[in-house]
Amino acid sequence: MIGLETEYGIYVEGKGAQDLVAEATYLVKAAPGPVATGWDYKHEHPRRDMRGFTVDHLSVDPNDAQFEQSGKTHLSDIEVRSDRVLPNGARLYNDHGHPEYSTPECTSLRELIANDRAGERIVQRCAERRMARNGGVLVALYKNNTDFHGASYGTHESYLVQRDLPFENLLRGMLPFHVSRQIFAGAGKVGVENVAPAPEGVHYQLSQRADFFTTIASVDTLYNRPIINTRDEPHADARRYRRFHVICGDANFCEIASLLKVGTTLLVLRLLETGWLPEGVDLRDPVVAIKQVSRDPSLKWRVERAQALGGGTIGAVDIQRVYLAAAKERLAGLSEETDLVLAEWEAVLDRLESDPLSLSDTLDWAAKRALVEQYREAEGLAWGDPALQSIDLEYHNVDPEAGLYLGLEQAGEVRRLVTEDEVARAAEEPPAGSPRAVVRGMAVRRFHEAVKSVTWSRMLLDDGGGQTVGIRMAQVQDLDPATVREALEPARTPAAFVAALERLEREAGTAGVNDTDVSDDETAATAGAALV
Amino acid sequence: MQEIRLDDRLTRPMPTADPLRKQGGEGDGPSKPDVKRPESRNILDRMKRVDPNQAKRYRQRSGE
Repeated sequence: MIGLETEYGIYVEGKGAQDLVAEATYLVKAAPGPVATGWDYKHEHPRRDMRGFTVDHLSVDPNDAQFEQSGKTHLSDIEVRSDRVLPNGARLYNDHGHPEYSTPECTSLRELIANDRAGERIVQRCAERRMARNGGVLVALYKNNTDFHGASYGTHESYLVQRDLPFENLLRGMLPFHVSRQIFAGAGKVGVENVAPAPEGVHYQLSQRADFFTTIASVDTLYNRPIINTRDEPHADARRYRRFHVICGDANFCEIASLLKVGTTLLVLRLLETGWLPEGVDLRDPVVAIKQVSRDPSLKWRVERAQALGGGTIGAVDIQRVYLAAAKERLAGLSEETDLVLAEWEAVLDRLESDPLSLSDTLDWAAKRALVEQYREAEGLAWGDPALQSIDLEYHNVDPEAGLYLGLEQAGEVRRLVTEDEVARAAEEPPAGSPRAVVRGMAVRRFHEAVKSVTWSRMLLDDGGGQTVGIRMAQVQDLDPATVREALEPARTPAAFVAALERLEREAGTAGVNDTDVSDDETAATAGAALV
Repeated sequence: MQEIRLDDRLTRPMPTADPLRKQGGEGDGPSKPDVKRPESRNILDRMKRVDPNQAKRYRQRSGE
């Protein structure tokens, strides 16, 4: 299972950063129905670390804290967050002043990318409804990760992996990979943040996010951000799985970039699950290296290797080739999508080595770079002119009339993976290959008013007769999604819906599957302790 | 928690020309000198409609 979460930037005419928590609430509440509410935060544990402990608190950006009081609303936290669960199985809510769209769980890259693109359409629809209700005051939404003034917000990836994958292997295997994958997954950025003085000669870099990583591994996400996030919150059976929560990626529009970002990460995780580890790519200082790769104007992307390997430097393309070679050897032929990822991965690495700027129809950083260059020459601007950051920003606007990426797409100048029909369908229906999303989406479309509480792993519904009936996603996870849809189709009441699902679970032998989502401390402590 | 470190502040010499353009074919950098340009005139028109001060005004809350 895979998923993407995108925190959107929000601009509201006449409003400042202190107002954005309230504005994000208004926007989320503008989501058209049917939607379910009642997200149950009791089952969320962002402070729990996969290394076997729970931290007392998460780090907070001191520069952001100034807005806490001035922008405080009189609403409860639950009202501020205003979680909505949508008929496609996705979650839309206000995450700290950002409308966040979390795709439903997907089981294929194609469905994931269609759902990620559907999120753009859904939040834009919310903005249009909000503008209509608010006298036409402009609301613009940006699928990006920085405000150019030092505030960053995330696009996170989730991968369900086997829990017996040792943390040490995960760390060692993923660090060089994350440092180097920006060469195809970066969304591009004009300028540099979080460094004073700014490094000379770096006007454009590969990644929106690389400037914001200051440590190798931690549970934090808001400040002191790590390259490897150690949050232990599987939203599934914690005895079998962990959810590898990747926070160092950028928001992508280019569908081939998304395919590579998620597809290659998925393949590397599969390699690590087999016990494979990369050789010769350990880095001297990954925190330094992630910035070096992003900011290197020569596009050679060379970084220092660990002293234990004899030192020297290695190129990001060469690091990626180590992973690609292992994936080709061990995973080729597993599925059509695996082979598609392997082919695109190799082709893109070849072009990054020989002709990186020719990838402007494939990768966001190259597409944006071409636009900025075109504008800079047309307007006679020097690198460093602040107007170029406005071009950068508008690349990410999700309004089809204004967004620069969307303009390229409308002109047919970027490669697509999914069709507009697939995106439109993904905005309305759960991904057909994901039984969990099918169940959640169907329940929301039919019985949204009966939903009493919902999380990624459970739902509680009022059966209409004063009783509460529950759905446990761990028991749904391994069912055949088409069979699930067919069995639930005739249900006309929540009770019938849940009863039909329970029949399927009994027949499939999943009724007794443990659904512990590390929701109690004892289980989490036990599961975490096994890792260290 | 690890803080930003001094050696994290990269400094590089200022290139005399566009950093992403190949300088005369030497070295093992990018081999193609010119950026592939979007063909459509419409996209340039769209860019020219962008308020050049929009990024200056754009301030966000720090997120995850």
